[in-house]
Amino acid sequence: MFSSIEFFIIEAFRSFRRSALMTMVAIVTITVSLTVFGFFLLSIINMGNIVGTFASRLDLVAYTSKDLSLEDAAAVQLKIGKLPGVEKVEFTSKTEAWKKFKGDFGSKLALEEIVHENPLPHTFAVRVRNPDMLPVVAKSISDLEVIDEVRYSGKLIDQMRSMVGAVRAAGIVLVVLLSLATLLIVVNTIRLTVIARETDIYIMKLVGATNTFVKWPFIIEGIMIGVIGGIASFIILKLSYDSAIMQISAALPFLPVVTDQRLLWFVYLVMTMTGVGLGMLGGYISVSRALKNEP
Amino acid sequence: MIELTNVSKTFSSGIDALHNISLTIGKEEFVFLVGSSGAGKTTLLKMLYREDLPTSGKVIVDRVNVAELNPDQVPYLRRNIGVVFQDFKLLPKRTVYENVAFALRVTGAPRSTIRRKAMQALELVGMLRRVSSFPNELSGGEKQRVCIARAIVNNPPILLADEPTGNLDPTTSWDILQLLDKINKRNTTVVVATHNKSIVDEMKKRVIELDGGRLIRDQQLGMYNV
Ligand SMILES: Nc1ncnc2c1ncn2[C@@H]1O[C@H](COP(=O)(O)OP(=O)(O)O)[C@@H](O)[C@H]1O
Ligand SMILES: [Mg+2]
Repeated sequence: MFSSIEFFIIEAFRSFRRSALMTMVAIVTITVSLTVFGFFLLSIINMGNIVGTFASRLDLVAYTSKDLSLEDAAAVQLKIGKLPGVEKVEFTSKTEAWKKFKGDFGSKLALEEIVHENPLPHTFAVRVRNPDMLPVVAKSISDLEVIDEVRYSGKLIDQMRSMVGAVRAAGIVLVVLLSLATLLIVVNTIRLTVIARETDIYIMKLVGATNTFVKWPFIIEGIMIGVIGGIASFIILKLSYDSAIMQISAALPFLPVVTDQRLLWFVYLVMTMTGVGLGMLGGYISVSRALKNEP
Repeated sequence: MIELTNVSKTFSSGIDALHNISLTIGKEEFVFLVGSSGAGKTTLLKMLYREDLPTSGKVIVDRVNVAELNPDQVPYLRRNIGVVFQDFKLLPKRTVYENVAFALRVTGAPRSTIRRKAMQALELVGMLRRVSSFPNELSGGEKQRVCIARAIVNNPPILLADEPTGNLDPTTSWDILQLLDKINKRNTTVVVATHNKSIVDEMKKRVIELDGGRLIRDQQLGMYNV
């Protein structure tokens, strides 16, 4: 078996050299496609991260009915704290709220002359564990009898979410199209070497090579194209991402960018393996077609 | 060893290349397949190593019905049949040694076996001195010797030769036939398709003659013409 593997690799290199120009074209194509693929992966991950970070900083605010006593309010606070998904509940009594409000605006408005009684309700500021839970938690809090109203900036988050969704959908469409185009080019590249080696294939079959055996050198040729394209796009993407991160965190320090090395290496790995897979598939398709029309 | 029963081959063009052929070739026989160009010799040989399938009839090679063979069994049939061509079909970018070793490589044989068997085959055909030459550095007769070495390197029980002397001068042709005879004497069934009259007449072997796809003569110790 070892001598066969050696044979496959030597044969693959032969093909590689024979159609050097077309091979270069295939490598460049696969590199471009993989870089775009990686770019989209990183963009989606970063946008998701931004949405997640902002969303988790957002609080729900629940307003009670005005005439709730402080004791009852304390009981409600406990109840809210026990709801699933709730991380923290902060209570602000209506007196505190009124004092703060007057402190903020009183001097300008001469409030005491217009409003004699505190018009504000008690409020609860609720933080959820996971921003996805916001709508659910909001619903269960507003279901409580003593709660008049629940507010959270769900619209903003929903908009950001749908934007991420749109980018993701566009990315998937683009990546699928690019993969198909890449596959087509790899298939045609390797088909050239298949044609150039028709006699070799004929002789191999004549002397009793199995189809699997005939296919391997071409599959390996595809894998080599994929590996080279994968490594090239990895280098391009890593260098540009690292420098982009530096510039973004200098210019927009509040923007959370993904710097988790494990996640980044995972993205690079997925990208490179996609290249290897595309190359392998391309080699397989082109040689299989050549082997099909025989008795 | 080889048994054809009512074998016919009609190409999609409508040409009747073989018509109801029945014949039996025994183990270790030496047979000439003669007939003018277009008689169906090549087509008949192709039926044996399943380069092509018969339209009807039964082809049995080494106890196996070739026509009904599962496609993934074909490689194993081919390892039992060596084939030699008029145009040699050597790979131009490989040395003599590589061309012969190629036939063993594709069977996944270990490296030491490949080397030993390839050298043995090259010695048998008298090409040991030229192992590192490329095909374009060889004469026609030498190329044919390499082609024969490649065909027998697996020790197949059957050797088929399609016009092996078609591109060679009379003396070289005679040498090649001597070589095929030698291989036949080493327990190999040999079938040679040819229209080289003088050689057939000289060798005095069994002669099977085709004409327009029909078998018109099957004669022991035959001559090219009746
Ligand atoms: N692949 C093919 N398609 C159509 N006709 C063919 C094909 N191969 C051979 N023939 C025809 O079959 C007949 C026999 O050919 P062949 O077996 O090559 O004859 P020979 O080898 O005796 O010269 C010829 O008429 C030839 O034109
Ligand atoms: Mg012929």
